Amino acid sequence: MRKQKFCLTITTLVLVFLYLPILMLVISSFNDSRFGGLWSGFTLKWYERLWNEKNMWQAVTNSLIVAISATCVSTVLGTTAAFALHRYKSPMQKIHYSLIYTPLVIPDILMGISLLLFFVALNLHLSLFTVFIAHTTFCLTYVTMVMLSKLQHFDFSVVEAAQDLGADSWVVFRRVLLPLLAPGILAGALLAFTLSLDDFVITFFVAGQGATTLPIYVYSMIKFGSTPIINALSAVILIITFITVCITQSLTKE
Amino acid sequence: MSIRKTFLDEFLLTIPSFTWLFVFFLIPTLIIFGYAFKPYDIYGGITEGWTLDTIKSLANPNYFLMIWRTLWLSSLTTLISVALALPIGYQLACTSKKLRQILLLLIVVPFWSSFLIRIFAWKTLLHPEGAFKQFLVWAHIVNADTSLLYNSGAVLLVMVYTYLPFAVFPIYAAASKFNFQLLEAAMDLGATRSRAFFHVLVPGIKKGIFTAVVMVFIPAIGAYVIPDLVGGSNSEMIGNKIAQRTFVERNLPQASALSALLALSVLIPMAGLSYLTSRSKQLESVARNKE
Amino acid sequence: MSDSVVFEGISKKFGNAQALQDISFAIKKGEFFSLLGPSGCGKTTLLRILAGFEKPDAGRLYLDGQDITDLPPNKRPINTIFQNYALFPHLTIWENIAFGLRVAKRSQKEITAEVEKMLYLIQMTEHAYKKPEQISGGQKQRVAIARALVNHPQVLLLDEPLAALDLKLRQKMLIELDLIHDNVGITFVFVTHDQTEAMAVSDRMAVLHKARLEQIGTPMEIYESPKSSFVADFIGDTNFLDGTVSEMVQKEYSLLTLVNFPNVLCFNDKQLSVGDLVHLSIRPEKIHISKERPQKHPLHNIFEADVDDVIYKGDHTSFGVWVGGHKIWVNQQHSRFLLDEKPIRWKDHVWIWWHADDGYMLERYKNPMEDIEEMASSADITRNP
Repeated sequence: MRKQKFCLTITTLVLVFLYLPILMLVISSFNDSRFGGLWSGFTLKWYERLWNEKNMWQAVTNSLIVAISATCVSTVLGTTAAFALHRYKSPMQKIHYSLIYTPLVIPDILMGISLLLFFVALNLHLSLFTVFIAHTTFCLTYVTMVMLSKLQHFDFSVVEAAQDLGADSWVVFRRVLLPLLAPGILAGALLAFTLSLDDFVITFFVAGQGATTLPIYVYSMIKFGSTPIINALSAVILIITFITVCITQSLTKE
Repeated sequence: MSIRKTFLDEFLLTIPSFTWLFVFFLIPTLIIFGYAFKPYDIYGGITEGWTLDTIKSLANPNYFLMIWRTLWLSSLTTLISVALALPIGYQLACTSKKLRQILLLLIVVPFWSSFLIRIFAWKTLLHPEGAFKQFLVWAHIVNADTSLLYNSGAVLLVMVYTYLPFAVFPIYAAASKFNFQLLEAAMDLGATRSRAFFHVLVPGIKKGIFTAVVMVFIPAIGAYVIPDLVGGSNSEMIGNKIAQRTFVERNLPQASALSALLALSVLIPMAGLSYLTSRSKQLESVARNKE
Repeated sequence: MSDSVVFEGISKKFGNAQALQDISFAIKKGEFFSLLGPSGCGKTTLLRILAGFEKPDAGRLYLDGQDITDLPPNKRPINTIFQNYALFPHLTIWENIAFGLRVAKRSQKEITAEVEKMLYLIQMTEHAYKKPEQISGGQKQRVAIARALVNHPQVLLLDEPLAALDLKLRQKMLIELDLIHDNVGITFVFVTHDQTEAMAVSDRMAVLHKARLEQIGTPMEIYESPKSSFVADFIGDTNFLDGTVSEMVQKEYSLLTLVNFPNVLCFNDKQLSVGDLVHLSIRPEKIHISKERPQKHPLHNIFEADVDDVIYKGDHTSFGVWVGGHKIWVNQQHSRFLLDEKPIRWKDHVWIWWHADDGYMLERYKNPMEDIEEMASSADITRNP
């Protein structure tokens, strides 16, 4: 099984490669020294300072506001789009599909700058609202793709069965489609939420003053700040991500 | 519902998402192309009238170097990522269910954690006064004054780090659908293990490989944050230039022109490829009908 | 019995393919009626038109005298058992059965009473709170039946309900369906491609072929008096022989001159005259086979034959024997313990005979293989003028 051993070796090396920097970061968040080089003692002071950092909390709040609103709108739009694409195969849908699919294959920075120019042309003041619009736009694509795949695996004979038993369109939607599609819709919403929270490039282009989201805050800290608060923040985010992923994985397992 | 598919129903269902994307995606994209033809206003923004000067300024030889570097770094990133993703994807598809879930989880977690933080992690790790550098100096692998950071090497390393999961997932997805008995059949017919790997497995998952290439290359050529944070002045990529023109110099027409160039270099190959795939599908169905 | 369902001139096209062409017939109230035919003949389309999931391009549909052609499926007093059962995966068995009653906004008391009654009828009371994925195929089918019948529809449609079950289970469920039909008394419309099933339970059957209605009648009528060669071939097995009528023997019988076969005497119910082209159909079970020469009889067709195939099927053996240039299939029932009979073996020289009344004259039937051969040979002609 030489091939197997080889693949296993590569996989392990890559996993080490993936985790080494992250682990180093977590470790140095407990390092008393200001500079990453030397270990000068275990401390929790960076975490304390992080907790008291008002700007950080503001950024978190902003991120959550945008993420929740963008998720809601993009989930609704994305679900209707997926239904349209699945049910109808007209030329209109071909164009519709291109509109939905293209954002997936262009780099983030293009979407960022195009929206910036759009807002500038409309003389629209850059704010959390413009961020919301940008986030909804790219989340829409992802939600649609997730829902489309769920719809393709959906057995529509239960819809006919419900009609056969006397249900009109509204009852079919409420009692059959919604409950059966809820996991898919939730998956799409979760994806949108995560992408929105994590987005930097697009947000950077369209956010105005006072519309700092968490990624923008992190970026400015990386670029201009040098306190190890950033290590503590990173460690916290990493742990939250890890827990969330574990929970989601175990939920989707059943 | 299956018999009352009226045009009105389709229209109503399509309109919400269609309108949103038309207004907030299509029109902005067109604006990029439009602004590329507008003259530059010193105070930022654009002025009246149209001009070809901006486009002409793209012919600057400095731009060529930057564009070449962008393409080169992106291609190399793609190559390395896909090359690493192949054994990983194969490994994942081969292992037992339990181990596979653990491995997938391990690969997914860094993928979902903040992209900025992961870049920052490398920035810290490669820091000139960092522990890692000291370790390398001690082991005589590098000199005390070589810089691990702020060069193209660092950019390449971090790009591979960031985009590798994008390559692993499609290849794993394709490998999990692959019928591994084909490899056994090949070996039964006399092929060596590596011949079977390259002549049977790789063609069998070429759709996944193709997706992996696209999923790495596209974000790579538009990379902005990575060269910004870990790259130096001699590892600038198109993304940096666009950001610089937009925020530092406020030269929106130039930024648009560069963006338009980037957009075209992505959209044209994609359009060409989708045309080719639909043509080959057409030919396939014609051939099948003839049988 | 009055008419329950009436199809009048129903036609339906999908793209370029004609699924149904001018179908007109009636189903009587309380009948167990089967729609039978090969794949693609249109029977499922007809069922779906009756259920309301497809709209006909032309024609009208009546239920108990009312025109329901334009009525949507949820307003028709008709319920369907789907081929894959289409049970709601997110609801328990209990809720699945209750679905139609809930939609009709019946009171909780009524719903509980009806559902419990149904559960008892299908013997699934102890499984009531399970989900569909936790029960077997046969059980799913019973739940599907209960879910439909609890609404007391006027007509129950069954779309190949036994297709997903194995042989023994199929036989068992078929009998159950028959019993349920007797109990409940409503009209059943059963779609299947399995003729044995259809004949076993139907009061009447309709045979469809290439979008048209070939024949309608009781199972016995269809089996014993097929009106077309397609029906004779599709239902049961038969031997076909071609020829012409050469002379009339006593008004009721004709002597047939056949291709590659000795002359045959046949009952002339079709009022054919000398010179007419015929397609003779004689079923294998109507032919007798023996190693001893049978006694001569004016109405018996007796021939010498050579055994080429012996296929043992348990309750009977099928023999393929050559008479002249034709291979004839003969089924011999084993009415005594096999070892008591003198076995007929391969390459034996035997005698076969049948009564002139048992042969059947039909119009010349083209089977699909001939169509292809014809097209192939005409293509050759154009290439080699």
